[in-house]
Amino acid sequence: MGEVNCDGRSTQEINAEIKQQIKQGATEILVRNPGARHNLGVAILEPVAIRLDGSVGYYCGGLIDGPNFEIAGSAGWGLAESMMNGQVVVRGNVGNGAAAAIRGGTVVVHQDAAARLGVSMKGGTVLVAGNCGYMAGFMGQKGTIIVCGDAGEAFADSMYETVCFVGGRITELGTDAVIEEPSTADAELLDSTLAKHLPPELRKSKPAGRNFKKVVSGRKLWNFDKREWKTWQEAL
Amino acid sequence: MCGIAGFLDKTKEHSGLGRVLLDMLTALACRGPDSAGVALFGPSTNGHFVVKVKLGNHGESALRAERLSGLLKSIGAGAREFSTVAAYARFVVDGGIDLTNLIASIERSDGEMEVVSVGRNLEIVKQVGSPANLEQTYAIAQFCGTHGLGHTRLSTESRVDLSHSQPFWSHGRPDLAIVHNGHITNYHKLRRVYQQRGIRFYTENDSEVVAIYLSDQLGKGRTLEDSLHAMLRDLDGSFSCLVATATQFGFVKDPFALKPLLWAETDGFVAVANEEIAIRSALPGAYQVREAEVKEVRVWER
Repeated sequence: MGEVNCDGRSTQEINAEIKQQIKQGATEILVRNPGARHNLGVAILEPVAIRLDGSVGYYCGGLIDGPNFEIAGSAGWGLAESMMNGQVVVRGNVGNGAAAAIRGGTVVVHQDAAARLGVSMKGGTVLVAGNCGYMAGFMGQKGTIIVCGDAGEAFADSMYETVCFVGGRITELGTDAVIEEPSTADAELLDSTLAKHLPPELRKSKPAGRNFKKVVSGRKLWNFDKREWKTWQEAL
Repeated sequence: MCGIAGFLDKTKEHSGLGRVLLDMLTALACRGPDSAGVALFGPSTNGHFVVKVKLGNHGESALRAERLSGLLKSIGAGAREFSTVAAYARFVVDGGIDLTNLIASIERSDGEMEVVSVGRNLEIVKQVGSPANLEQTYAIAQFCGTHGLGHTRLSTESRVDLSHSQPFWSHGRPDLAIVHNGHITNYHKLRRVYQQRGIRFYTENDSEVVAIYLSDQLGKGRTLEDSLHAMLRDLDGSFSCLVATATQFGFVKDPFALKPLLWAETDGFVAVANEEIAIRSALPGAYQVREAEVKEVRVWER
């Protein structure tokens, strides 16, 4: 296993060394002492396993396509932003805008997510074992958001085709978000996703798939005719 | 952007306040290259007030310090422990003094002099430039105390000078200081309301109104926690804001979560900043850091 120690080094030096080790054939890299530095491990396009043994700052794992990140601490704003494929697992909490605009892959958060989780998603899956904050799922175009705990205000606001599941309480639905009965297939998907991505000690306290609320777009906003004032007003 | 930081020492030692705030600000220097400052809450002065006066923006500090010293004698302020460092004069007066008159006398005597802080525990030090420059000039790392705030400023609208730097004292209410990251969009409206009530604004920095607003709320008998909740109702825009009084320390985050704010609490400390790297670089160890929620208000007792 390759190793990169962040102590006393700039973000550019750390990222350059990660990429150098990948180039030399490393398939697993341990990044020690990340110290909540920003922009670690961005734009990695190879299927390499990268483990960070502490917290990371903003935009960790952004623009990646294929790697498997595991973050032992928490992550700041913009985790895995615009990820194409791969997996990012955070054992702590994540800041605003986690998994924003991802097109594929999986983001797993073992604790809570702050505001704007998965905004403008275009694919992929986001799984939060705890709660999520304000405006999660805003303008989501595709993909799945699963929140095992509670969801904050303006949840799933102005969505297109993203599908959300919430195991706890929804503080407030966003504009044009509606609750729909989950299907048997939904429940199976939830059970299998949680079983696959959450460790047993976390999984056992989470609701069964059939007990999640499903939230989808009411489709009154995303395909409305601007001359249909009544429809627009009702949606708002 | 702007960097904000706050630290509350829960131990009995109170020896690391200045060092911790300096380390946090150093990590936040990239968020605000224009100025840096701290509000430090030190040991009790047995009821006396510590007064910090800015001696002008354009040099002549020694001359102004001499004039200030003379003025304090002539008005019988009973000032003692008078000292000057760089742009500031510092002195101690009795707790029973008429602060309004004292401040007015000082500021009337010279348009460039400004009382930057008054408190039984509070001392504010701020200047244009980096946290490293602040340390070089004022040796803030040596300061001992219970809690404090720090700020690095990226100026977006108003002037870059000492007065427009943060933290802001509430100008009138001893031991109340704030730091703010964000933009108060109804600043001009609020400013007009307060000015009509005779309250003076010293700057054109929208963050100043936060200190004035909180002073006003506390003056109405509200608790700090209630005042911060009221802020969510009365102030528009984006704000991650830290506030400290002689006995309390807290934060408020705006209803849209537009600015970052992270906090950590252990048995030994509470630390708040708008980047985790600031907390981690100042306070090594294993603990959780989490992002504040929208509209979250928290207040700790010293």
